[in-house]
Amino acid sequence: MIGTRTLNMLERSLDAATLSQKVIANNIANASTPNFKRSEVKFEQYLLQELNAERGRSIVGRRTDSRHIHIGRSSSSNPATARVVTDNSTTFNHNNNNVDIDYEMAMLAWNQLKYNLLIDRTNGFFKSIRTAIDK
Amino acid sequence: MAMFSSFNISASALTAQRLRMDVVASNIANATSTRAQLVDGRWVPYQRKMVVMEARTAQPSFSSVLENTLQGSVGQGVRVTQIVNDTEPFKRVYNPTHPDADESGYVLMPNVDLLKEQVDLLDATRAYEANVTAFNASKAMFTKALEIGK
Repeated sequence: MIGTRTLNMLERSLDAATLSQKVIANNIANASTPNFKRSEVKFEQYLLQELNAERGRSIVGRRTDSRHIHIGRSSSSNPATARVVTDNSTTFNHNNNNVDIDYEMAMLAWNQLKYNLLIDRTNGFFKSIRTAIDK
Repeated sequence: MAMFSSFNISASALTAQRLRMDVVASNIANATSTRAQLVDGRWVPYQRKMVVMEARTAQPSFSSVLENTLQGSVGQGVRVTQIVNDTEPFKRVYNPTHPDADESGYVLMPNVDLLKEQVDLLDATRAYEANVTAFNASKAMFTKALEIGK
C-alpha cells in the first residue's frame, strides 16, 4: 500500500505524544508529593536513530559477538518505541521532589502543539490519497 | 481505559488538592476553638491538621507489569493517604476570665498559625489550577484526535 510507512510513523508518534501527555499530567499531579521523582518520555531520539540507520548515515558499531554492546543503534530490526525514563538524579525541592512546575507546564503546551501537528499531518496524508482516488 | 488515564491522573490531583483546601479551611475556622475534644473531663483545644500525600501507582496486574516492562512505568496520579495532627505545642494565652482558663489564668489555644494556612491555601489553589490546565490540554488533544480522517 502506498505510504503506509508514513502512516505508521505518524501513528507511532501519536502514541508517544499520548504517553507523554500521561506522564506530564502525572508530574503535575505530583508537584508537591514528597520524594516523587519526575519522568519523561523519550521517543524522538530513538526515531531519529532508526531513520538515520535506514539511510546508512549514523555510525554503527560493528558487532562480532552477540554479547557486544550496541553502538549507534539499539537493535537492527526493532522499530523505535517510546520509553518512560525517571530522573532520579536531581532534587529541586526541599521535600526531595524534583518537579519544576514551570517546565512541566511548558512541556504540556509543547506536547499539545506537537499532537495537533501530527493530527494535521495525518489528515494531510489521507487528503492526498483521497485526491489521487478522485482524479 | 488506557487512553483516558491522563484524565484520571489529573482528576486524582484535583481531588487531593481540594481535600487539602478543605483541611486548610477547617484549620482556619477552628483557629480559636478551645473545645475540640474532652479528655479526662478537661477540654483540649483544636489541633492543626495536615494532609499526607503519596504518588499513586498501578495495582500490580499482568497488564500493568507488561506495560511497565515494555515502555517504563507511568504513575497513576496522587492520593491523600492520611490526615495527621500537628504535634506542635498549644499556645498559652493569659485570659483569666475565659471559661477554659486554668488555675493560674492561662488558656490553651489551638496550634494553628494563620500565616502557614494562607501559604498552604495559596499553594493548593495554584496546584489545582495547574491540574485544571493539564486536564483541559488532555481534553483538547482527544477532541483533536476525533478529527482524524475528516
